[in-house]
Amino acid sequence: MIKIEINKKLHGANGGMDLSVRLDILQGDFVALTGQSGSGKTTLLRILAGLESSSGTISVEGEVWQDSKTSLIPQKRKIGFVFQDYALFDNMSVEQNLLYVQKDRALAYKLLELTQLNQLKDRMPSTLSGGQKQRVSLCRAMMNRPQLLLMDEPLSALDPTMRTKLQHEILALHKEFGTTTIMVSHDPSEIYRLAQRVVVLHGGKIINDGTPKDILLKTSGSAKFSFEGELLDIVKVDVIHLAIIAIGQQLVEVVVSDDEAKTLEIGQSVSVSTKAFTPRLKGL
Amino acid sequence: MSYLVATVKQIESCDNLHIVAFDYQAQTLRMMSLDLHEDIKIGVKVKLAIKPSHIALAKDFSGELSYSNQLQATIVSITNGELLSAIKLDCEGSILESIITLSSSQRMDLRVGEGIVALVKASELSIDEVLNV
Repeated sequence: MIKIEINKKLHGANGGMDLSVRLDILQGDFVALTGQSGSGKTTLLRILAGLESSSGTISVEGEVWQDSKTSLIPQKRKIGFVFQDYALFDNMSVEQNLLYVQKDRALAYKLLELTQLNQLKDRMPSTLSGGQKQRVSLCRAMMNRPQLLLMDEPLSALDPTMRTKLQHEILALHKEFGTTTIMVSHDPSEIYRLAQRVVVLHGGKIINDGTPKDILLKTSGSAKFSFEGELLDIVKVDVIHLAIIAIGQQLVEVVVSDDEAKTLEIGQSVSVSTKAFTPRLKGL
Repeated sequence: MSYLVATVKQIESCDNLHIVAFDYQAQTLRMMSLDLHEDIKIGVKVKLAIKPSHIALAKDFSGELSYSNQLQATIVSITNGELLSAIKLDCEGSILESIITLSSSQRMDLRVGEGIVALVKASELSIDEVLNV
């Protein structure tokens, strides 16, 4: 069990904010941490890693990492950290990057094999693609057999295909080593695939905590197919109205009645939903 | 959207598929649904929503229909466009709107004040919100 109870005053873009988090995580759990930018996700990871100070306590499997008297330095915490921008040593080969953490060739070999990097072990990071670099940094983070693996949007710089591939490798590593993991992510499909639990931070506080399905299926009542968008226009056609809504990169049209059109305002955020029985699904 | 306030009176389940029966002014409505919100239990009042284009109308009809929801109503207004017809119905004090083609509206010779049956499939009835828990 990892027990976290920390407080820290932050000075963000939107003025001061209290990061105040109480969180218990079971050993071996894979937790996704999500929330708007500026909600305190990265700061929380940095506090857990010992890279930032805070008040409060952190204990991991009974060992105190931080309390009112002590705070272990990052090197003493059994942590693996994967950053969005890889943070590899450019002057070392792939294998040397791993062995720098721990002179454990057997483990390095196993990790490189699990992530299909063994062919590339002598290459320098500058010759690798983004996906390959991130796999190396994932392996490196596992080299000291961490009790807690922290990942800060590890896949957000990668293209969708590479992202899916790495998700499978992260899952494979998690299965093999059972490392308790906290991953910051904004991608619902990624969270659904990898995590058993989602914690949503907002303004420094946990506002939601549950299974990916419960948290990510944005539903009210019995609507199962629900998206948020911006209402761009309402056009009257015959006795009905067409609402034009931007959802992500796409525009959609929804038929609304006269009375509904009167209650809507151009520019407002809207949810577009229907029951699970209505949408058609076709392979592309 | 058209809304009706009704009370949950029965829930049948098979895995995560449910058929929920509601009581609305002594008439029974049925809804097909996947996972139900935990607040939805027998005796709870809910606001039901129906999209106007999902309400069909029947006049002087005899025979059997598969529609789970057949509501007695009275026509209160008819607005005809060039192709479509928006018909407002009073159903035991709630106003429902049905959008049908103008040709259907004319073929049925619909008139304000007439009694009519509003038809809604169970898969097209949805819960908009739970009113009391």
